[in-house]
Amino acid sequence: MNRLCGTDALVRLRASAVKMQNGRGRRSFYCERQLFAGEGARATRFLLIALIFLPALAHAYAGPGAGFAVLSSFWAIFVAFLYSFYALMTWPFRQLFRFIRRRNAYGKATFERAVILGFDGMDPELADRFMKEGRLPNLSKLRDKGTFSKLRTTFPAISPVAWSTFMTGVNPGKHNIYDFLARDTSNYLPYLSSAEIKGPKRHLKIGKYSIPFGKTEIKAMRKGTPFWHWLGNAGIFSSVIRVPVTFPPEKFQGVLLSGMCVPDLKGSQGTFCLCTTRVSNDKFREGGVRVPIERKNGVCRSYIPGPDSPLAEKAGTELRVAFEIRPEPGSKSARFAVGAEKFTLNVGEYSEWLPAEFKAGMGFTAHGICRFYLKELSPEVEVYVTPVNIDPGHPDLPISHPVTYSIYLAKLFGPYATLGLAEDTWALNEHVLDDHAFLAQAYGNHEDRERMLFDALDKTKQGLCTCVFDTTDRVQHMFWRYLEEDHPAARDVPHSQHPPVIQDLYERMDRLIGRVMEKIDGDTLLMVISDHGFKSFARCMNLNAWLHQSGYLALKDGKSESGDWFEDVDWSRTRAYTMGLNGLYLNIKGREKQGIVDPAEAEVLKEELQKKLNGLIDPASGTVGITGVFIADNVYRGPYTENSPDLIVGYGAGYRASWDSVMGKVTGQVFEDNIKAWSGDHCIDPRLVPGVLFSSHKFIEEKPAIVDVAPTILKLFGLALPTHFDGKPWTLAS
Amino acid sequence: MNVLSNPLAIASPVAAIAAFSLSWLTSPLAIVIVVSLVVGLLMVVLFGYTSDQKAIAIAKDQLKAHLLAVRLYRDQIPVVMGSYGKILRGTGRYLKLAFKPLLYVIIPITLLMVQIDRYLGATPIPSNAPFLLTVHTTGGDALNDVTLDLPPEISMTAPPVHVPSTNEIAWRVVGSKEGKYEMKIAAAGQAAAKVVRVGSGLARISTVRLRGHFWERMFSSAEPALPENSPIESISINYPDRNIEVAGYGMNWIWLFFVLSMVAGFIFKELLGIQI
Repeated sequence: MNRLCGTDALVRLRASAVKMQNGRGRRSFYCERQLFAGEGARATRFLLIALIFLPALAHAYAGPGAGFAVLSSFWAIFVAFLYSFYALMTWPFRQLFRFIRRRNAYGKATFERAVILGFDGMDPELADRFMKEGRLPNLSKLRDKGTFSKLRTTFPAISPVAWSTFMTGVNPGKHNIYDFLARDTSNYLPYLSSAEIKGPKRHLKIGKYSIPFGKTEIKAMRKGTPFWHWLGNAGIFSSVIRVPVTFPPEKFQGVLLSGMCVPDLKGSQGTFCLCTTRVSNDKFREGGVRVPIERKNGVCRSYIPGPDSPLAEKAGTELRVAFEIRPEPGSKSARFAVGAEKFTLNVGEYSEWLPAEFKAGMGFTAHGICRFYLKELSPEVEVYVTPVNIDPGHPDLPISHPVTYSIYLAKLFGPYATLGLAEDTWALNEHVLDDHAFLAQAYGNHEDRERMLFDALDKTKQGLCTCVFDTTDRVQHMFWRYLEEDHPAARDVPHSQHPPVIQDLYERMDRLIGRVMEKIDGDTLLMVISDHGFKSFARCMNLNAWLHQSGYLALKDGKSESGDWFEDVDWSRTRAYTMGLNGLYLNIKGREKQGIVDPAEAEVLKEELQKKLNGLIDPASGTVGITGVFIADNVYRGPYTENSPDLIVGYGAGYRASWDSVMGKVTGQVFEDNIKAWSGDHCIDPRLVPGVLFSSHKFIEEKPAIVDVAPTILKLFGLALPTHFDGKPWTLAS
Repeated sequence: MNVLSNPLAIASPVAAIAAFSLSWLTSPLAIVIVVSLVVGLLMVVLFGYTSDQKAIAIAKDQLKAHLLAVRLYRDQIPVVMGSYGKILRGTGRYLKLAFKPLLYVIIPITLLMVQIDRYLGATPIPSNAPFLLTVHTTGGDALNDVTLDLPPEISMTAPPVHVPSTNEIAWRVVGSKEGKYEMKIAAAGQAAAKVVRVGSGLARISTVRLRGHFWERMFSSAEPALPENSPIESISINYPDRNIEVAGYGMNWIWLFFVLSMVAGFIFKELLGIQI
């Protein structure tokens, strides 16, 4: 999926005086065992025995230290006991209540448990190829024993759209998600399609401060009801991890950690930071900021840019966290000091997740986490800092249901990435990160996700357990260039030297499947699905440029190109425009603020555009750049179709909307090479990029679609299907 | 009268305030508060240096996670029971991690507490108030041979009471004048002395003098051990316990210290960012 950071939803901070605990990273129980080994442990045991034989008075004098230890541990046990007692005592009543109300939730269920693993972007053709090469033994087992099929995706084949359909069982006309972005008809500007975040409306002015009163309002834009809500209503528990477009989290019977579309602490979809001593006026196209490092007496000082201060009267008063770097002479490492955290990094190494507290004053603190990556120490100093993620252990915005679930995971496994698009594809696109650093980051997040999945499997012995892995999507986006011999983005590297990144990715996912299969039995249905497949993205098409050259879009007099978001577009002479990845809009009178197309003429114009664009040839290669243009009225049904684009453009394999076109920019050239690392894509003709369906049990279905998953799961748990569903349940082979 | 023209006019109230402050600062309550704050701070710092902070943070986080699991999965009894087991194991792990640094903390603090208890654990015998001097001998034979030699400021108010069943002899005595005095006790040809404090205020008090009993002597006695060959096993005085008044309640200094040093510790651990 693409990453669009154009929206500036304000993250409002909530007051808190509670201090963060020291940040720390991943660990294993092996490490903890080591703590008790050796001489120290023997001495400790000896002293323990000695103390036991001291007179009782010694214990009375143990002082506050013993008090802390005893009180803390006693408190933990006491609280646990209370919870357990409560759970045990009320369990029969709750069961009875549930029985009366829901008539034995699992009574008609075909399976005790359904495990759905979402591998975002897993491509059926690649999976088939790697299976034939013997690289994916576990997926091959699923294919042989159960089901392997293409899974029809949505129009368009974009993750937020497809996953929304997956969870609601309806077409986009009923769930209202058509792209990452939607356009504001009053000003032609984009906004994030999945959620709207508004700060408190009332403020109290005291001196230089403007203190917000009330709650931050987070409005879900995705409509429809996820199928785990239907399960929950029937008393079936669900664990839902990082399914896209689940922010803000909704209440239901189960636990949920929000995925794609969770913002960073700045309110964007991910803004990295490059701290550098290099002087440069260049700005990153999107997704990152450059921050100067000041070097004085061997000490480098810089800062992490944070959210705007909620107390400042003027918007744009940025909060910052300062940090220091002390390069160690004669070595490729440096000592970092970020708040109370002190650590050493070698060049080419990431830090663990570290707390970043942005203090606004008067007790207002925004709690974030970020990682540092030391790029270079000599001759210049350069440090990459990840987007500041919402701290899962201290979330300033709700990122899970219940709120304590993200805290639970943070306490159990340590801090983890919460940003919706956590893998920093833009930093790789902008050459801030290299391939190796990007993969280290992506697989670090992936390992965290695996831990969450296995914990959910342990905790959810009955019901639904679903987890979406984004790594498959991000890695294919960024490394498709190495799959092809002549991709424009990898022409500087001989094909024989292309690393097998995508093969490794599929093998890694296969090993994960193997470990999951060890955890399940015959009463569990395992499904592996993807929301879409993948194709090469070698050529960009600026549809706005084509509309301009074809007379559908006009620029102001004297202009041959526009700026971002239609700057210098003459709306009084513009009939059609595009923004986002696949949507094409008409400038309709009465709908758009400066619309000129009479609604009565819209149908004719749509058909005209469809006819002209369908089969459009790239003159440089002679191949078809657009293989299908779909009129929205024919594709979508439901109450939210008025928010859809008028036409859905299906690019041919190898093509996609250009980076400029996505951002509403008109350029002089319609087709051009894509030389960015982002070299594979799926925002094309949905018929060309179906997803995959693997299942531990055989389904009889010729053309399964992602919209069928929700009704299939409800049917397998013996529930009646809501009448508004668009999908049809699959039938299990006997 | 113009105050500025006569500095002595304000000297008197200032002196009074100073005297009051000084007397308050040397009061047992003030001493306990100051000692608690200092000990709380030192304990936290020492704990921070001697403990594996990272491991303690992890152990505490794991405990919290299992507690949250009980709440999150409350309808799933196997998960609740499993989490409960993990809480018990996690508590053990946490106590184990806390134990080693606690040893570093306990030993010096225990010694400090013992010394403070000499001053704050009991009050001196008020003058003209009778008190009991009790001698415990090794056998009944020695009991008949015990004699008491008192200084002039101390006088006996009743004949001694012999308790053969427990090998004890007790005298009711009274001090007429404030001070530190030695009472000499002889038995089987061997003499031993016991110090007594008569008066008020703070003083270093030893409630008992012992023969042997190393650990008990360490915690209870502020006087040298009685000779090993002495027929006297212990000499004790029933000093009144010192109660410190807080909000109308009298309590032993240890309880006040325990609470105050814990509060101080919790505050300092937050300020210093130390995991306990």
